[in-house]
This record gives sequence, structure tokens and C-alpha cells, in this order.
Amino acid sequence: MKSQLQARRVSAIWQQGMARRRFLKWGLLGSAGVVAVTAGGFALLRRSPLDKQAAPAWAQGLSEAEYHLFNRARQVLLPVDGTALLPSEQVPVVQNVQTLLGHLHPLTRKEVAAGLGLFDNAAVLTRGSRFVDLNDNDARAYFDSWGRGNVVQRTLASVIKQLVYSAYWQDSATWPPTEFDGPVSDKWGLEYLGNAPLPDSVADGEARA
Amino acid sequence: MSEVKWQASGLRVHQASDVTGDHLQLDADVVIVGSGAGGAVSAYELAKRGFKVVVLEAGPYVPSKDFTEKFTDSLDTLYQDHGSQSNSDGDLLVLQGACVGGSTVVNGCVCFRTPDFILQDWQRDFGLNELTAEELAPYFDEVEKNLAVHDNGEHEIPQHGRLIRAGAKRLGWSVKPLKRNIRQCGLTGHCLSGCKTERKQSMLVTYLPWAAAHGAQIYADTRVEKIVTHEGKASGVEATINRHDGTVAATLSVAAPRVILAAGAVQTPLLLLKSELGNRSGQVGKNFACHPSLYVPARYPEPVYPWRGAMLGVYVDEFMHPDKGGFVLEDGGAGLVELTMAAEPGTGKPFMDYMANAKYLAGLVTLIHDHNVGSIEWDGERKKINYQLSDVDFPSMQRALKAAARLHLAAGASEVYVPASDQRIIRSEADIDSQVDGLENQPQHLRMVSYHPQGTCRMGADPDHSVVAANGQSHDVPGLYVADASLLPTSIIVNPQITVYALATRIARHMA
Repeated sequence: MKSQLQARRVSAIWQQGMARRRFLKWGLLGSAGVVAVTAGGFALLRRSPLDKQAAPAWAQGLSEAEYHLFNRARQVLLPVDGTALLPSEQVPVVQNVQTLLGHLHPLTRKEVAAGLGLFDNAAVLTRGSRFVDLNDNDARAYFDSWGRGNVVQRTLASVIKQLVYSAYWQDSATWPPTEFDGPVSDKWGLEYLGNAPLPDSVADGEARA
Repeated sequence: MSEVKWQASGLRVHQASDVTGDHLQLDADVVIVGSGAGGAVSAYELAKRGFKVVVLEAGPYVPSKDFTEKFTDSLDTLYQDHGSQSNSDGDLLVLQGACVGGSTVVNGCVCFRTPDFILQDWQRDFGLNELTAEELAPYFDEVEKNLAVHDNGEHEIPQHGRLIRAGAKRLGWSVKPLKRNIRQCGLTGHCLSGCKTERKQSMLVTYLPWAAAHGAQIYADTRVEKIVTHEGKASGVEATINRHDGTVAATLSVAAPRVILAAGAVQTPLLLLKSELGNRSGQVGKNFACHPSLYVPARYPEPVYPWRGAMLGVYVDEFMHPDKGGFVLEDGGAGLVELTMAAEPGTGKPFMDYMANAKYLAGLVTLIHDHNVGSIEWDGERKKINYQLSDVDFPSMQRALKAAARLHLAAGASEVYVPASDQRIIRSEADIDSQVDGLENQPQHLRMVSYHPQGTCRMGADPDHSVVAANGQSHDVPGLYVADASLLPTSIIVNPQITVYALATRIARHMA
């Protein structure tokens, strides 16, 4: 019964379309905004096998559902087959996401949690299972459809992507295949110039009030 | 006058880690809130003239040597809200420095004087008859000399700039080297992470050490919570000194007959609103503009290495005047993290291919002359930056995007990535209109960034319609001044740092 109620609740949200002013607030993380539900999160619309898997001990800043969501997003957003890029499981992507989320204002963080729950669970309505249980192609198609969707969908798709992308590419281990130089000043032995000398007395003060 | 004690490197700054007591009480002739473009210049100008100056900066003091040249680290340590400050709809990142030196530490060094046609607008629409090009020219001359502003030399124009310049010439568009405030540019491309070897002439290595040499006291980690008045006149501020974990180390009161607000166009109006001061006009926090910009990346057949060389080389001013479009295009370098934020080349493999081939990308930054349609509010718990690109400005953004696409294609790009939430790739002139005209002015459709918030305490002659006069002083509260980009009554199209330096110099000298 609870799931049915939740399903109707989600359906009602979509029927409201752009009713973000009643239902949603916006916050921000990284380059994109974070859509968020003001009134708490969702109970799970459908159980996932992942629900039985505990999140790692380091993931204290994420709920278990958030951990699984970002770990699944890492897998589907960062494929490296056929490239020289570093496999994402060798990069602390979800740990880095956790750090990024830790910078949020507590109220915004709470809203983000609800928004992430919405993204995960809304897939039940359109694709028959939660996002974390979609296969790779369906999960990517889900991202694409939300990227073309209404403002709520665009926001969530952008936010999750930006978090995962930043979390992967900020790690210096991912740089060599791209030839990105990273920090160079010390490597190049650039001299520190220090403070600029005081302005000379002639020029300084030419423009008088 | 006391002895001038200039130091060759570093800066004497009081920090939370230095605090021993629960409360500090200071007396000064002038207390300045903020240490960026407006605050640092004001501090130097007044300290040099014998005023006892205290500068309060909410952000930390990060010496140049501690800059990591890693963008994500820099967002965390040097930027407002750890780099996550945005508008209420979350689709406009508002990047401001939040450290000693403010945004001047993390900007791209680009220097423009206020365009004459903007000053004419200010004279006509806001009664700012004093602010003519002739009046301001000596101030511009002086700050440009002080900050080593110069046209980029040929060696300072990176590969992406050379491509853009060639494309503009093919189109017959006016293209020029940018002016930058930098000495012996190290060509690292890490401007947005701070200049580690102190070549960028930010306030951190210029006006702040000069102010300190003349006796100004600088406090980092110090957030001003309230402006204090006595008998209707400014009389000081109350602040907290905060440890880096967010806890309060001490409270601080500064008694001073002059208070200069220079915390930037978001924080300055917030402080006035919280203090319930200076708002007889109702304009405090209103009229927010920000030059919403897009970074338009494109893929070229040969490696570009967009992270190499000076970050910004040239600009196209063909469309600068509002009658010609009201936008500017600047070539822009970027690192990997920045490139992930710019475009939506597709999900999964298309994105990873885009990134794997990042060395073939070059980018263009669009700046538009937006209208002052936004506002800054304090809801009791959080600030709110209310800004959406107006329907009046959206066509300008589309024109800028189309011009950027044309320019990339003329420069030889094979693919231009529209910075939108959905996949839009332009491969030929024939694609431009369909891809750009299909964009909607809706939240979260464009990936916008603002580096230039402005306008929220606008200058003007009429106290009923402006917050401060042309001399920066509040119409309502004698002794209370504003000296940052909040002053600007309209957006100025171009990067505003030189405008702020010049206005702050003028305001300080009028005050003295």
C-alpha cells in the first residue's frame, strides 16, 4: 500500500509538470543546480538487490541509497572500453562525490537527498525498475531522456552527471591518457616573483579628487 | 606619518589561528569589509594618506605558494561557498573569490576600461554626470600602470587564441589581443586556481601589501555580521572570527566613523539587508546583473591543448556595442574539470570520447550585456540569488552562441558543442540556426556561469532610485560607503575589475 501511495505521489508530481514552485526548491553544487524536494525523501517504490548491500564504512556522508546511486552512475557514465582512460573503479569517484556534497548548506543537503531519491525511484514508473537496477543502456537512455525532459528532470540529470564527472576527472591519475599537464609551476621551476614594488611617487596620486 | 614597511613577499594577516581571547575591540578611522578589488584599493589609498585602516575579510588567507593549481582544490579553498554559489534555480554558477584578495586572486586577468557608451548610459539614466570618460581616464591610467596592465604579447596568445584570431580574420570580424594585469606570465593556464608564482597582479601581491606597508591591518576569517550606526551615522561593524571548521573563535567589534563595503555584489547587499540600513530607496539587493556567460567548446583536427599557455589571449569586439549585438567573445583555456562542465556531448561513450580527446578542444567565452533583472535576498537562513536570463536578453545569448559557432567553424573546428542540458552538436553552418533556435529560455537548459556579479547597490544621483551617490557614499547613512561592483548601475559587458579599481580609487580620494 505504501508503495502504491508513493507511486501516486510521484505521478502527481509529474502531472504538475513545472510545478516546481510548489514542490521544489533549488540549490547548487558544482556547475549545475541541484533540484530538491522540500518535504523529505521518498520511501523506495521498489526494492533493489542492492538494498541488501551495505555501503562502505567510509561513506558516512551518504545514505546507503545515495551510495548505490552514485556507484551505479559511475559505472554507466564513465565507460572506458576502447580508450586508454583509467577505469573508474580505480578512482575514488563516490568518495569524491561525498566530499563535494559535504560542502552544501545542511538544508540544501537535505533537499538534495530527496532529489536523488526522486531520480532513483521515478525510473520505476517509466522503465519498471529503479535507476540503480537498470542495465547500462537503459540507464544511459534514462539520463538522456531526463536531459531532454522538464526542468526538474534536466536539473537532476545535470547534477548527477556533473558530480560524477568532476569526481572522476579531479583525480590526477586520470590525467596522463589525455596529456593534461596538471600543476606545472613547480615542475617547470618557475621563480616566485613576490609582491609588486610600491607604486612610484610620481605616478601614484596623479589622479586627485 | 609612520614608516613605510613594504615586504617583498607574503602578507601580514591576522587569522583565526592567531586569536587568543573571546573578543577583540579595535578602533580605526576606516573599516573596510572585503579585501578584493574595491577593498584593497580603498585600503591602500586611505592608509597611504595616514588613515588608520582595518580590512576585514570573511575568507581565509591563502599564500600564493599554497595554491595547488588543481581546480577542484581551488574551488574548495578560494571560492565563495566552495565554488558552489549559484542562483536560486541552480542553473547559473556565480563564481566569486572568497579569500584574502577576493576575486582578483582567481580571475582571468582580463582588463577593460568601462566602455564609453556605458558611461553615457549612466550619465543619461542615473544622473552620474561626473563619471565621464575624461574624468575617469586618469584613474584608469594609474591603476593600469600600478597593475602592469598590457596588451598580450604574441607569446601570450595561446594556440586556442591563435585559432580564434585566424577564424575572426577569415570572417572579417574585429579581433584584438586582450589586456591583462600580469608580470612575466608563466603561461601555466591556471589563472582560475590563483597564480602560484605571483605573476598575476592580484590584490594579494599589489594593493594589499602596499596597504599593509602603510599600516593597514588585515584580518582574515572575519565575517562582518552587522554595520553599526550612532545617531544615524556609520560608527563601525560587528563581526565573528571563524575557524576553518566553521566554529567561532572570537567576536570582533571595530569602532570607526567610516565603513566601506567592498564584499562584492552578493555579500555587500546582504550585509546592508541584515543590518537594515541604507535602503530608503528599496534598491538594496535589486538590479542584480552578472554577465551570464557560456563556455563553448569545439573540436579541432589538430591538438590545441586548451590548458596550455595564457588562459585568455584575444577577444572579438565586433558585436560589443548594443546596437551590434551587445556581446563579446573571448578565447578561453580550460582544464579537464572545467571541460566536463561545459558541454553535453552525450552520455557514456560519447562523453568519454570527448574527454579522451580533450587536447583537441578549444573554447570561446561569451559575455552579454544583460539587463539588471535579478535580486539578492536573505531569507533568514540562506542567501538567495534570484536571477534568470530575461526574455529580453535571451536573443542576445542566442546571437552570441551563433557567433561563437560561426567563429569556431571558420577557425577550422569540426564540431561545436552547444553548452546545453541536451546533446546539441554543430558540424556545419547549416546546423547553427536549428541547434541554437531550438533552445528555450528555461531553467537548466543552458549551462551558464557568472564571474561578474554587479549592480545590487547602484550609484545614482536620485536617492529615491539608487543606494549610493557617485562618491560611493550612502544616500541614507553618512559615513557608509560602497566600493565594489555593487555600484555599477548597469552591466558593463566587459570584465569589470578595472572599473572597480578606478571607482574605488576615486571614492577613496574623495573620502580623504
